[in-house]
Amino acid sequence: MAQPVIMPRQGQSVESCIITAWNKKVGDTVAEGDILFSYETDKSSFDEPAQVSGTILAILANDGDVVPCLDTVCYIGEAGEDISALVNAAAPAQEEAPKAEEKPAAEATAPAAAPAVVATKAEGDIIRISPRAKNLALKTGVDMTKVVPSGPHGRIIERDINIALDAGFVANAAAVEAFLAGNPIITEQEEAPVAAAAVAAPLADDVLAYTEEPFTGIRKVIARQMHASLSEMAQLTLNASFDATAMMNFRATLKANGEALGLGKISLNDMVLYAVSRTLPNHPTLNANVVGDTFRYFKHANIGMAVDTERGLLVPTIFAAEKMSLAEISAAAKGAAGKARDGKLSPDEMSGGSFTVTNLGSMGVESFTPVINPPQTAILGVCSITYKLRADGTTYPAMGLSLTFDHRAVDGAPAARFLADLCKALENFGLLLAK
Amino acid sequence: MPKSQYVDPGKVFLPGSIKFTDIPSCQYKKTLAQEKKIYTKDDFLRIYRDMRIIREFETMLNDIKVKSEYNGIKYNNPGPAHLSIGQEASAVGEAYCLDINDFTFGSHRSHGEILAKGLSSIHKLDETELYDIMKEFFGGDILKVVEGRQEKQGDVRDLAIDFLLYGALAEIFARTTGFNRGLGGSMHAFFIPFGIFPNNAIVGGAAPVALGAALYKRANHKKGIVVANSGDGATGRGPVLEALNMASMRQITELWGMDGKYSDGGMPILFNVFNNFYGMGGQTQGETMGYDTPARLGAGFSASQLHAERVNGYDPLAVIDATTRKKELLLAGKGPALLEVATYRISGHSPSDSSTYRTPEEIEAWKEACPIAAYRKKMVEGGIASDEEFAAIEESIVRRMEKICKLSIDDELSPRMDLDKDPAMISSLMFSNNNVKSLEPDREPDVLMAKEENPRVKQLKTKARYAYDEKGAPIPKIKLFGVRDAIFESILDKFYEDPTTIAYGEDNRDWGGAFAVYRGLTEALPYHRFFNAPISESAIVGSAVGYAMAGGRAIVELMYADFIGCAGDEIFNQLSKWQSMSAGILKMPVVIRVSVGSKYGAQHSQDWTALTAHIPGLKVCFPSTPYDAKGLMNAALAGTDPVIFFESQRIYDKGEEFHKEGVPTEYYEVPFGEPDVKREGKDVTILTIGAVLYRAMDAAKILEEKYGISAEVIDTRSIVPFNYDKVLESVKKTGRVIIVGDAVDRNSVMRDMASNITEMAFDYLDAPPVVFGSRNWITPAFELEKYFFPQAEGIVDVISQKLMPIQGHVSTINESEIEHIERNKKGL
Repeated sequence: MAQPVIMPRQGQSVESCIITAWNKKVGDTVAEGDILFSYETDKSSFDEPAQVSGTILAILANDGDVVPCLDTVCYIGEAGEDISALVNAAAPAQEEAPKAEEKPAAEATAPAAAPAVVATKAEGDIIRISPRAKNLALKTGVDMTKVVPSGPHGRIIERDINIALDAGFVANAAAVEAFLAGNPIITEQEEAPVAAAAVAAPLADDVLAYTEEPFTGIRKVIARQMHASLSEMAQLTLNASFDATAMMNFRATLKANGEALGLGKISLNDMVLYAVSRTLPNHPTLNANVVGDTFRYFKHANIGMAVDTERGLLVPTIFAAEKMSLAEISAAAKGAAGKARDGKLSPDEMSGGSFTVTNLGSMGVESFTPVINPPQTAILGVCSITYKLRADGTTYPAMGLSLTFDHRAVDGAPAARFLADLCKALENFGLLLAK
Repeated sequence: MPKSQYVDPGKVFLPGSIKFTDIPSCQYKKTLAQEKKIYTKDDFLRIYRDMRIIREFETMLNDIKVKSEYNGIKYNNPGPAHLSIGQEASAVGEAYCLDINDFTFGSHRSHGEILAKGLSSIHKLDETELYDIMKEFFGGDILKVVEGRQEKQGDVRDLAIDFLLYGALAEIFARTTGFNRGLGGSMHAFFIPFGIFPNNAIVGGAAPVALGAALYKRANHKKGIVVANSGDGATGRGPVLEALNMASMRQITELWGMDGKYSDGGMPILFNVFNNFYGMGGQTQGETMGYDTPARLGAGFSASQLHAERVNGYDPLAVIDATTRKKELLLAGKGPALLEVATYRISGHSPSDSSTYRTPEEIEAWKEACPIAAYRKKMVEGGIASDEEFAAIEESIVRRMEKICKLSIDDELSPRMDLDKDPAMISSLMFSNNNVKSLEPDREPDVLMAKEENPRVKQLKTKARYAYDEKGAPIPKIKLFGVRDAIFESILDKFYEDPTTIAYGEDNRDWGGAFAVYRGLTEALPYHRFFNAPISESAIVGSAVGYAMAGGRAIVELMYADFIGCAGDEIFNQLSKWQSMSAGILKMPVVIRVSVGSKYGAQHSQDWTALTAHIPGLKVCFPSTPYDAKGLMNAALAGTDPVIFFESQRIYDKGEEFHKEGVPTEYYEVPFGEPDVKREGKDVTILTIGAVLYRAMDAAKILEEKYGISAEVIDTRSIVPFNYDKVLESVKKTGRVIIVGDAVDRNSVMRDMASNITEMAFDYLDAPPVVFGSRNWITPAFELEKYFFPQAEGIVDVISQKLMPIQGHVSTINESEIEHIERNKKGL
C-alpha cells in the first residue's frame, strides 16, 4: 500500500513551506532515512527523510513550489503500484496564489456624510461647535444658531455647516456686514436691537419727543458704502428717454398669451435688464470695476439688481446675464428678489457685480441720480413712463433712464453712447429679441 | 548552541567535585629595599604628590561644602560631592600601572580615580603630544584659562596638572570650561584623551559599559586594557554581576579563535573593586552581602577564578604590585581579572553624612592609619627623601589648589552656559546627527565569506520585493521579501562596510535570532563580531554603550520589547545620556533592536515605545513595511545616535505592499522623523504607530466601501524625532484624526501626539484628536487579543463615536467619554 509523504508543519505559525530541492525523482527507490527533499520556512530550512522504504510513485510538488503544511507531496510504495485513486483524491498540492480579493458587488455606497440623526440642539445657550466648523461658518457667514448639529454630544461639525450652505443658509446681518466690509470675522450673534429708549415726555408738550434706533447691520453697511461711493468717485448722471411702445406691446402680448408658456410674469424691468445685458458687452468700460487705478473688465455682464427689502437695500447679482434668455433673466431676477426679501442671500450672491440696475419707475420717479455701487463704474436708474409729444402731435410712452457713471473711469461721450445704444435697443425690442 | 560543543549525557552525570584554589589576601611582602630596585626617587615622590593632590582636592571640596570656604576662598557649591578621602593610595596605585591606551571607568566617587589616571597619563605622554591634547581640546578653551598661570613656566607637565585640576573642578562647578562644559558634573567627570572614561552616578552602572570598551578592544584588535572601577556596594547590583559573567564567557577563549584564525585571548578587563566597606551606610562585609570579601566573587564566574585577590589599598606600592600583575595577565590574553582593593573612606559618603552607621573609634582608627602619612613616614625613615622635601611638595600642592579654586569660581574666566544668549546650547548637544558609513574606513572587515556566497543572500534573490504580481494579485507570503529580510539585508551590508560593526544578543548566532532575522549572519561573520550573549540584558545594552564610547558601532537585540525593563538603567541612563553629558565628545552609534511580541501573553507582547520615547537623547522608530525597515535601519546604522529600533513579530513576514517599485536592493535611507502617507484620503486621518498600520488600512477599506468615507492613513515610522508637518497638513485637510497603536492607551506616544496635534492644529479640528490604543490591562491570550489590541472594526467604531457619527454604523465596542471617565476612575 503506497504511503503519502506530507509536508511537515514546523511550528504552529507556519502555514506553508517552499520545496527547495528534490533529492529523489519518480521511480527512484528510497531507504528509510534517505533525504527525500529539502524545504524551508521563512525562518529556517530542513531536510525531510523518508519514513518508509520503497519506490517513489508520484511527486505532487516541484522545486520552488509552495506547499501547505500537512499536504501530500509524494507517494512511496511498491514499484508498479497503481496509485491513481490516491493521487486524484489528494487535493492538488500546489498552493494556488490567492486570487485578488473580489470586490463585493457594488453595494449602495451612498455617501454617509449625511448626518446620522437629527441631533438635538445642545442644551442651554452654549453652541457646541468644532473649531473647524466655526471657522467655516465665520468664513461663509452661516448663522451658527440655525445649524443642525450632527457631531458627538450635539456638536456642530464641518459637514453641518456645509449642509446649511447647500440648503441656502441664513446669513445674519452681522455676517453680511462683516463680509461686505471685506472682513470675514463677524460676531456670532446678531446684535439685539437696543430697546427704543422712551424719553420721558417733557410735561404737557411732547413736540420734542423722538425715539432712537441704532442703525442695524445692513443700514450701517449701506451708509458706509454710499458715503464711500460719493466721496471717492467723480459721479455724474445722464438722463435720456426712449419710446417704449414696442416694449409695452410686447409686454401686453406676454400678458395675454404668455401665461400658458410661463412667460406671463416678465416685467418691463426684466426687459430693461435684458437690453442692458446685450448692450454692456459693447461698452467694456461700463461693464467694469475700478480697483485702485486699475480697470477690471468683466467677461460677462454680471448685473446687480437693487432690491428694496425690509432690512434695507440689497443688491443680488445676476451672473452672466448676457447668456440668458429673457425668460431666464426674469426668473433669475424674481428668484434673487425673493431671496433678498427673505434674507436668504449668500454674500457670494451679492458680490461680483459689474454693473447695477435700479428701478424707481414704479414709484413715479421721473429722473434721479442713482449712486454707484463701488467698485463698479456705472449704475442705471430706470424711471417711470411719461407721455411725450411727437412732432406730428401724437403722443408716445417715454421711459426715462438715468445713467450715473464714474468720470474717473469713463468720459461723458462713451457713457452717452452706451445710453444711446441702450435706448435704441429698447425701442426696437422685437429686433433685440431676434438677435 | 554551537554544534561543536557536544553536551554529553555520559559525562554530565559523572561523580566528582568542583575545585577551587585559594584566593590570596594582602600578601604583598616586598621590603623598601626590594622596591628601590623598581622605583626611582622621582617615582616615589610622584606617588606621594599624586596622593596628596587628591587629598587636597577632596579636602577643598569638603571645606566648600561644609564651610562654604576653602583657605579663605568663599564659594557655595550646591551640586553633589562624593568624596574619597582615605582612598588616595588605592587610586594612585592603580593608575600608576596604566598607560594612555588603558581606559578607566569609575563610579560616583571617582574624583580620586580621575585625578590619579590623569596624573599618570600626564607623566607618560610625550610633551608635544600632551600640549597638543590641551590645545585641541574644545579649541583650547580650558588651556586658555590656565596657560601662563603655572608656577613652573615652560614646564608642560606642570601646566598639564593645572589643566587637569582646573578642568575637573570647573566641571564639578558646572562651568563651560569644565571637561564636559559643565554638563557632566561631579559624578560624571571624565577626559577621554587621558584614557579617563566616564564615571557613573548610577552605582554599578559603569561595569557593563567598561565591559563594552574591553569588547571593542578585543573585537577590533586594539591595544590596552580596560579597568572597571566600582565600590564594594556596587557588587550587589545585577549589571555588575552580569558584566562579570559576560566578560568570562567561555566562548571567548573556546570559540572566538576559530581554530587559530583569530585571537583566542580572554576579555582584557580588570574589575577593580575599591572595597571601603560601606555602600552609603550599609556595610557590605557584615551586613548587606554574604561574601565577607568581594574577592570571593571571582570564584563564581570562571575556572580561572578571575585571578582574584585582595590587596592592601592603604599601601600604594602593594596596589601597584597587584595591578601590574593583573595587567600582565590581561595582556597575555588571560582576562578577565578581579582585584579587591581594601581601603576606607574617612570622609562621609557626602558632606551631609553624620556617620550614624559607624563609630567615632572606627573612623579615628582609620585616620590613624592614613595612607599618605604612613607612606611619607616610610619614605623618610627609609631615607628616600627628607621630611622637608615632602613638606615642600605639600606646600606647592596647597598653593596650586588655591589657584585652581580661584580660577574655577571666577565667573569671567569660568562662566556657566549662557542659555539666555544661546538658548539652543543644550538642544544642540542632545543628538550628534552625523552620517558616517564606516567608523574605521581604512580597515578591512573580518568576514568569513564573500557576501554573494551567503546562503541567505542567495535565497533572498529569489524573493519578490513587491507584494503583488503584474496583475495586481498578491504573491504568497513565503515567496516575499519580508520585513525580517529587509532588516537582515541592511545589517549584513553594514557588516561588510564598517569593520567595527558588531552584533549580539540572546540566541543570535546559529539560531539566527528567535525570529530568524539573523539567519545567514552566522555563516558570514566570526564570533568576535557576532555572538550569543548570556541572558543578561543589562550587560548586553550596557556593553553596547561602552563599545560605542570606545569607537565602534554596536547592534544589540532584546528578544522581546518587554525585556527593556531588564536593561532599564542601561537604556534610560547610559545609552541616552552620554552624548549630551559629554558635551558632544562621545558618540553613541548603537542600535537596539527590540521586538514587540504577539500571541505570547502579558510579559511578551508589549509595545513600550512610550518608555523609550520619554527619555531625552534616544531616537525611536517603529517601521512596519520592508521598505521602511531597510531604509530606517540604514539610516540608524549610518548615524551616530542611539536608536531604539522597534520591530513587530506580527509582521516579520509582510512583503512590501506600498512602495510599488519594491524594496530596492541598493542602499537608501529613510530619514528619521518623517512620517509616510500610506493611503490618501480627505475625510479623516488615521495616524498609526507600528504594526497597527495594516489594521488601519483595513479600517480605511471598510470606511470607503461601506460608508463612502475617505480615510488618509499616515504611518509615523519614527517616533523620536518626529516631524508633524505632514500630519498637520493632513489634519488641516480632513479636520479629524484618530491615532492608533498597540501600546496601552495611558501615557502612550499616541496621547502625546494627540496633545501636540490639538495644540498645533486646533483651529482646523472638527473634533478633538482621538486616541485608540490597547486597553490598560495585561495582554490576554491570543484568542482574546481582539478585546485588547485595536482592530479595524474598532477603529471605525471610534471614528463614529468620537469624530463623525456614521449613519447606519453599529458599534461593537464602547469608547465613549463616559466609559473613559469610568475607566479612569478605576485606574483602567
